[in-house]
Amino acid sequence: MRRAKRFGRLLRGRAGYGFSFEAEFEIESYLRYQAEKFAKYFDANTYLLITRALDYFDPARPYGGDLVRALAPAQARFFLASFTTDWRFAPARSREIVRALLDNRRILSYVELDAPGGHDAFLMDDPRYHGALRAYFDNIER
Amino acid sequence: MNANDQALLAARPDFAAIARWVSPGARVLDLGCGDGALLRYLWEARQAPGYGVEIDDAEVVACVRNDVNVLQMNLEDGLSVFRDGSFDYVLLSETLQTIHGTEQLMREMLRVGREVIVSFPNFGHWQARLQLLLGRMPVSEELPYAWYETPNVHLCTLTDFEDFCRRLGTRIEERLVLHAGQAVSLLPNLFGSLAVYRCTRA
Repeated sequence: MRRAKRFGRLLRGRAGYGFSFEAEFEIESYLRYQAEKFAKYFDANTYLLITRALDYFDPARPYGGDLVRALAPAQARFFLASFTTDWRFAPARSREIVRALLDNRRILSYVELDAPGGHDAFLMDDPRYHGALRAYFDNIER
Repeated sequence: MNANDQALLAARPDFAAIARWVSPGARVLDLGCGDGALLRYLWEARQAPGYGVEIDDAEVVACVRNDVNVLQMNLEDGLSVFRDGSFDYVLLSETLQTIHGTEQLMREMLRVGREVIVSFPNFGHWQARLQLLLGRMPVSEELPYAWYETPNVHLCTLTDFEDFCRRLGTRIEERLVLHAGQAVSLLPNLFGSLAVYRCTRA
């Protein structure tokens, strides 16, 4: 969304549409640049594995779909953060975890940040997110 | 009681009443919990563990800093993450007047809690009545906002709230009316500026 706003339909140094498969729009060249950078940072096969692991992530599955039972053995304190624009792991999923932890009467804090960064929001410099995380870390006994 | 607690109770006289009504070790849910001061106080004074719900980013961070369990959610969306009867007390401290879906929230509170404790500024206090009589919207210690910047949308008097409870079929178990931190028994709807109610499902 932000990217669309930033680039709109801006063309790359030309007056009209060329009706070709070249990178005519600014957004295309931006995406190409980011993709090339990404391909240098990450090993493609590792990335495939990670995305599969994400797809298979379902902690309730071994417990017949019961997340409450899945989290019952946990003794830890929990801090959960979600971002309203994250469609990969939406706040609704995080709230399922909140509900299961409440049922288990666990110590728990949950922040739901209205941030525009989507799934990548946790990588951005969001003072509210960092503030909450810092406050939580500060209370961990050293 | 330490100096912090004394300052807290001076600033929020309804907290002492709420703490008196909450039995030791009870499970509490504080809606619109601000920086978590009440939850912290209930934990220290009554060993009552609890969770807070708050929407404001800065207040949520303050709760985390205060080592209080906080869930960032909008009360207007209901309390669907909480199961029926999962708390001994559900608290709504000086937040009722800021809620749009008042009736829906009251029903949700009564669903989730065995008992509900609500405090709110009394719009029927004589100072408010006098200011209106003189042609201005009331501004006072309990109602510190000018009309154009107030977060309050649903102000009411003691009589209004009691009618509302009757309409919802809610039983009022106990009522405490305060002014300047002192209990008011004479004409409470006129001389009380802050009301605290303890309610149950009838």
